[in-house]
Amino acid sequence: MDGNEVVISMKQLSKVFTKDRRQIKALEGFDLDVKEGEFVCLLGPSGCGKTTILRIVAGLETATGGDITVRGNKPGVAGQARGMVFQEFALFPWRTVRKNIEFGLEIKGVPEAEMQKMSSQLVDLVGLKGFENAHPKELSGGMKQRVGIARALANNPKVLLMDEPFGSLDAQTRNLMQKELLRIWAATNKTILFVTHSVDEAVFLADRIVIMTARPGKVREIIEVDLPRPRDRTSQEFIKVRGKVLTELDEEFEKARAKELSPE
Amino acid sequence: MQILRDDSIGILGRVTGLLGSWRRLFLGAASLAVFIALWSLYSAWLHGDWPFAYRSWSQPAEYIPYPSEVLYAFVDSFTHRDPFTSLYMTSHIYASLKRMFFGFVLAFLVAVPLGLLMGRSANAEAIGKPLVELFRPIPPLAWVPIFLIALKLFWGPIAIVFLGIFFPILLNVMFGAKSVDPVLIDAARTLGAKRRDIFTKVVLPFTIPYMMTGIKVGIGVGWMCIVAAEMLGAVGGGVGLFIYNMAYQGTMYDRMYAGMLVIGLLSVLTTGAAGFLEQRLSRWMGMK
Ligand SMILES: Nc1ncnc2c1ncn2[C@@H]1O[C@H](COP(=O)(O)OP(=O)(O)O)[C@@H](O)[C@H]1O
Ligand SMILES: [Mg+2]
Repeated sequence: MDGNEVVISMKQLSKVFTKDRRQIKALEGFDLDVKEGEFVCLLGPSGCGKTTILRIVAGLETATGGDITVRGNKPGVAGQARGMVFQEFALFPWRTVRKNIEFGLEIKGVPEAEMQKMSSQLVDLVGLKGFENAHPKELSGGMKQRVGIARALANNPKVLLMDEPFGSLDAQTRNLMQKELLRIWAATNKTILFVTHSVDEAVFLADRIVIMTARPGKVREIIEVDLPRPRDRTSQEFIKVRGKVLTELDEEFEKARAKELSPE
Repeated sequence: MQILRDDSIGILGRVTGLLGSWRRLFLGAASLAVFIALWSLYSAWLHGDWPFAYRSWSQPAEYIPYPSEVLYAFVDSFTHRDPFTSLYMTSHIYASLKRMFFGFVLAFLVAVPLGLLMGRSANAEAIGKPLVELFRPIPPLAWVPIFLIALKLFWGPIAIVFLGIFFPILLNVMFGAKSVDPVLIDAARTLGAKRRDIFTKVVLPFTIPYMMTGIKVGIGVGWMCIVAAEMLGAVGGGVGLFIYNMAYQGTMYDRMYAGMLVIGLLSVLTTGAAGFLEQRLSRWMGMK
């Protein structure tokens, strides 16, 4: 958290999708620096380009304008500097928990014995002991996402990109997973870029909350969450920050709706 | 933390499930019994046997022998050589199975790579699709004359069976390769997978259950082609040849039906085995 090195640097990032000859501006002039060890949440109305940002950082899409570097490199040179966790879990159904976690290691050509050791450590870290040989369909949503996190961590990336990872979990599991994630974050010193549309989740997790404008997305405001962890959702301070974020976001939702109603 | 397993159905669920399978078995047996009864009745009517008072004039009676006669011919075909090829039924079955096996292996080797290619590459699909659409609706049986003339009696029948098995495998593999969830490919890419890894570690395993479905359907279609494939002669016999000979050379309709029964049973057994394997594999792979 106190590291000063910028791990992800985005300057005037823009992205235009062309679909059926129509151009969709997803991002325009998006600026953000994420520092080493930081936990940053992206928050904004749906369709504002949050997923697009993560995909660009992950090297799954290329920006159509602006500059982006991940630890000084272009993200297109995919490398293994970042791992991604998906809302849909995206686990390989034919692989067991252990084999899912080992996917990236297999590709790197890590020897079997070392791979086993590493995956065992990850299994312990994310709390999946005893389920190493289960297939994804045997697991509950929360456990699936534990596998997703462990699999992304296996390559030992600096940066963890998480796209609404707990979006499809029930409220209780979601809260538990947030605590688990903070524990894992503390244990691994990762830099986390986390997309959510839950204000509560953002305030609970983040060092900084980046509130985005409606499409085309750029930064509307960055709110520092200067509360000690573990955070108490019922405390005065928590509720105050939450209120501030909500007000900002509401305005942006209104704008997004107005834009939808008016002809372009 | 909670784990969901199949045995969450509980005892009650399993008992009703068992009742359900008993009922299915009973209804299946009943349906066969009714069919055999109606068949016997029709034969009796043609033969003018009890309970009918006199012979029907409509068809020669030997066209529809009694079920018992067919059963006798069935057993007889295994214990006595047939008069035309001097082969036991086991030899005919072996010859047909061998033909099916060759046709299957060839179809598998050609259809799987083509299906994967057409499923994953838009260009390959654009090139292959018109040909598939043109040739697929032509029944394999339409190729019988030219295949037998051009490829002769060893490869001709194999080629016909090949055609029957080829398209179901091709289409299923193509569909499977097409339906790979894009998010799985994204996940693989963020884990460092290159094109080759994506193909061998994501697309290929994803397609295996579809491949098995194609094989199951293909084998069924293959058996439908075997009689036509062997009709005009086949090297080393064959159940199809047996059927043809019994009808055209010998007017031994009871034996002809016995041969048909053998084909039906072979088809049920082989597609059943493929279906069993398909289910096992899907379950073992944690899919479907
Ligand atoms: N592959 C694509 N082709 C065309 N349009 C896309 C594509 N991906 C995203 N978009 C569009 O870009 C905008 C931003 O999408 P996304 O980043 O998924 O938003 P968010 O994650 O914030 O909901 C949306 O309007 C979406 O329709
Ligand atoms: Mg999104």
